[in-house]
Amino acid sequence: MDGARRRSSGPDQRFLGVLDTSPFRIAIVYSIVFACGAAVLLGAVDFAVSRVVDGSTDNLIQAEVQGLRELYLVLSRGDFIEMVEQRSQDQDVRGAVYLMVDPQLRPVAGNVPAWPKIDAGEGKWIQFKVSVPFGDETREHEMRAQRFPLPGGYRMLVGHDVQERQDVKNLMMRGLIAAVVLTLLLGLGGGFWMGRRILAQAGAISAVATQIMRGDLSQRLPVRDADDEINTLAREINSMLDKIEQLTLAMRTVLDSAAHDLRTPLNRLQATAEGAISDLAPGSAARRVLERVSTEVDGMRGTLDALLRIALAETGTVARESVDLSELVRSMVELYAPVGEERGIALESAVATGAHIQGSRQLLAQALANLLDNAIKFTPDGGRIRVLLRGSSTEPEVIVEDNGPGIPADKREVVLGRRVRLDEARKFPGSGLGLSLVAAVTKLHGARLVLDDAGPGLRVSLKF
Amino acid sequence: MHILIVEDDEVARDYLARALGEVGHTVDVAADGLDGLHLASSIAVDLAIVDRMLPKLDGLALVQSLRATGRKMPVLILSALGDVDDRITGLRAGGDDYLTKPYHMSELLARVDALARRGNSGNADAITKLKLADLELDRMTRRVVRNGKKIELTAREFQLLEFMMRHSGQVVTRTMLLEGVWDYHFDPQTNVIDVHISRLRQAIDKDFDKPLLHTVRGAGYSLREDE
Repeated sequence: MDGARRRSSGPDQRFLGVLDTSPFRIAIVYSIVFACGAAVLLGAVDFAVSRVVDGSTDNLIQAEVQGLRELYLVLSRGDFIEMVEQRSQDQDVRGAVYLMVDPQLRPVAGNVPAWPKIDAGEGKWIQFKVSVPFGDETREHEMRAQRFPLPGGYRMLVGHDVQERQDVKNLMMRGLIAAVVLTLLLGLGGGFWMGRRILAQAGAISAVATQIMRGDLSQRLPVRDADDEINTLAREINSMLDKIEQLTLAMRTVLDSAAHDLRTPLNRLQATAEGAISDLAPGSAARRVLERVSTEVDGMRGTLDALLRIALAETGTVARESVDLSELVRSMVELYAPVGEERGIALESAVATGAHIQGSRQLLAQALANLLDNAIKFTPDGGRIRVLLRGSSTEPEVIVEDNGPGIPADKREVVLGRRVRLDEARKFPGSGLGLSLVAAVTKLHGARLVLDDAGPGLRVSLKF
Repeated sequence: MHILIVEDDEVARDYLARALGEVGHTVDVAADGLDGLHLASSIAVDLAIVDRMLPKLDGLALVQSLRATGRKMPVLILSALGDVDDRITGLRAGGDDYLTKPYHMSELLARVDALARRGNSGNADAITKLKLADLELDRMTRRVVRNGKKIELTAREFQLLEFMMRHSGQVVTRTMLLEGVWDYHFDPQTNVIDVHISRLRQAIDKDFDKPLLHTVRGAGYSLREDE
């Protein structure tokens, strides 16, 4: 009920409602799992590619270093420099870089403009950037190289342009991020869409359920032409509702026939008695007997009315309307106040305005009348009765409180049962149906009935 | 007045016919819905008393047919069903009043009287000033004056007096008052209506020689000028 109420109140709430649906949550979880999977997969590919490519580059450089070391031993310095220059210019060996510097680190030969100022030991891998002409512009390229000393204080750097590899890596990384983001977006979007679908159906179902609970048993849940879980469930609930409607209608029919079959002979009895009374002389013995009969019929009618109203309330088939509870409580207090005053009982009330509920005004009035009848019956002369209406306008609480003898805690449940009259109450007239009717009417309106100690007295609360 | 009784229960029908005849009405009777509809359509009937559950044609269907053919006479529906929802269905079908069995004849006679008067008085809502002997009630200014002297009444006492004045000369029962003034349909266990009436009586009759508000034993109350 809470969910239904929240979902139907405004676009923001509806949006937030979608976030609460199970399809949306499942979609989120799946998206995250997929995104993680994609990340791991691409990471692994990147790692494998790096190993293969890096490994082969490194082997190439190491072979070159070895070759140059050996050549330096057999060639004159001049020839060596020339050879380094030649290799540097060689376009076939793509991306290979060389630099030979003198003891003052001034370049002697090679295609790298300056000795990289990186603090790393001989034979260690270093990475640095070099500006490389790229059409009309220059581009910073990433280089990977090894440095080694040559006899005579000269030093040599042999390396390779790894920018292309870096580009591929960057591309892969961007692809990876794009894939993860896209997966997440698709997941969120799909989840939202499915969530809205579910929500629309759930909203329709809960709207119908509310109507059914208000007593309109002819309503059925909306069913789409699909065999998914929700539609299957809705169909099963609908056939359950068919059954409930049949049973309730059967109950109502039984109730109507019982009413008819009891009221008709009672009416005949009353007619016969009254008809005979008017023919008899006032004060005659026969007339007194018939007057007694007539009074008894009245009593039976009272009990029958109460029983039928209880049964009617319990079938839940009573027509509902919007009832101004504030007006109802105020007018009932106003109706009963003079009766209280006759006995010196003050009928105090504090009635909040604007309380509206869906229900039967007549049954609610009867229930309140029973509570006030009881309160007046059991409150000693000069006592006090308080009637309160408080709480929110849609979930009000009605309280009737007296300072009479009250009901012992262990008997409060019992008195709500049918025809229960506590021994203490036997000296007062009454059918013993008053509180059971209050209980049935309370239940019909989905309210809660609580009997409590008013210290002293009885406090009856109807919480809608 | 010419009254048609459509009631399948013989005992109830005979007693009803006898009682209505005793107070001076002309009575026609029908034992089923079809007969009832036929009679109501063929003779001039001033008021109909229709049982809700009838053989051949249901009481509600009968009333609906009458209304559909433009018959506007007041209809009192008698019902052996409940009084919560069934009253509303009965009035919606075109009934003017609704009485649940078993009823007292005094209750039925009072209601028949009220219905007959309503049928005659036409647009009663348009009348703003009600008058009985030296008692005057103005609905517009909400002033009540008796013998030139202003009488202070609470809002409810005013409504109660207005209802009584509209039915002056007739017997008004406690349930009629609870229905007409408070719009409630239940039997209070305590004498709530009597206390309200006695307060009204205090207000309008106490300082004057001739009482206007009378108690009718075993029936209810009546606001009238005693000869």
